[in-house]
Amino acid sequence: MTGGVRGAAELGVDLAAPRSQVLLAIADDALIGGHRASHWTGVAPTIEEDLAFSTLAQDGITQADLWYRTLLGENATDEAVDALAFGRTPDQYRNAIVCERPPRDFAYTLARHWVVVHVDRLRLTAMSRSSEGDLAAVAVRLLHELRYHEQHAAHWFDRLAHGGDEPRRRLEAALEQVLPESLGLFEPVDGEEDPAARAVLPGGHLELYPGFVEVVASQLDAVGCAHLLPASVEELVSAIPSDASGGRRGRHSHDLVEDVWPEMTALYREHPGARW
Amino acid sequence: MSRTTDVRAIRETVAAVPDPELPAVTLGMLGMLHDVQVADGGRVHVELLPTYSGCPAIAMIERDVVAAVEALSGVTHVDVRFRFDPPWSPDRIDAMGRERLREFGVAPPGGPLSDAVEPGTRRTLPIAPAASDSPRPCPYCGSSATTRDSLYGPTPCRDLRFCTACQQPFEAFRPA
Repeated sequence: MTGGVRGAAELGVDLAAPRSQVLLAIADDALIGGHRASHWTGVAPTIEEDLAFSTLAQDGITQADLWYRTLLGENATDEAVDALAFGRTPDQYRNAIVCERPPRDFAYTLARHWVVVHVDRLRLTAMSRSSEGDLAAVAVRLLHELRYHEQHAAHWFDRLAHGGDEPRRRLEAALEQVLPESLGLFEPVDGEEDPAARAVLPGGHLELYPGFVEVVASQLDAVGCAHLLPASVEELVSAIPSDASGGRRGRHSHDLVEDVWPEMTALYREHPGARW
Repeated sequence: MSRTTDVRAIRETVAAVPDPELPAVTLGMLGMLHDVQVADGGRVHVELLPTYSGCPAIAMIERDVVAAVEALSGVTHVDVRFRFDPPWSPDRIDAMGRERLREFGVAPPGGPLSDAVEPGTRRTLPIAPAASDSPRPCPYCGSSATTRDSLYGPTPCRDLRFCTACQQPFEAFRPA
């Protein structure tokens, strides 16, 4: 393992600063989620889903690129963006652990996709109110593009929920697995109370949770899974399973440390600065 | 200083650069050109609006624009910035761009054109309706008996449709 990015000296920004930490959380969710989506390229159940998850992979990685550039500001060279994406050690990533989980079966993939698009909608909406004008403009643009992913996720949720016993059983099993893990998405990074972090994500991660419950509760109720949602932010904090908690502070599972990270960073570690 | 460093000539040059993935249309037709500024000494700053945040052709577009503008006499330096404010939307595609896309087999947003538009003029059509109810006439036979087969297509800015009249699959520029 290489030493990773050491921060200000190399990139011109302080990665430990609250603004950097919250942008890393947002970017790393997209990067790691995008990398996991790419699993389905070539092996998805249908050609349409192959296109869908290949596009989701491309979108996730591009969105990460946009947020790394936002983090770096005037220091955002291609080399610096690559260093942020691939030059960090696993404990320097701030994605929620649910994003690094393997695709498991297609029902789990779809259930996670369904949760993540709802969280993305809420988070990007909050970011569109950012006092940083360029950042807010990126969030507005991404909200437009999110509509397709939302339609795709809703279509599959419906199809599995009402497609007979087997799809329904698979969806419920997937939700029982993914929903508790997904609560880690609402964990704050260190320093998220700081005004510079609040300027990026007004309200912060925890405050996204009531909106999430409002949007998904009735849909989950329809498939008998509403009981999986803690009722309030206070209950949320104690309901996050210990093995799905801590991603925002750099405590990751073997799924990142021994699977996603080594594969994702292999080229960069072997050939630093390589270009396509 | 040469006359070619006047902003209008540079705008025309940038607007004439073809889209690398849809060479039938130019950046100007797609409505991607936001602003051109020329500073003393021939330094040119170009601002473009990407059609899609995840567009993999962005680096190629930047390279093509720099090459085209650098070829103008009097230009000493070109830099390109992609910006998201204002957000690009398909209603920025001009009338000629829509017609060229249709000829290329990609259904443009906004439906068929009702009247001819003089080259070089720009007409802004209404914003396309929401994705779920964004029907497109077939670019080959013009029939409106079409369905959307897939929300995702060969590039992030296109989806897949099918014409039940002439039995042809075709692509459509996404509504958002």
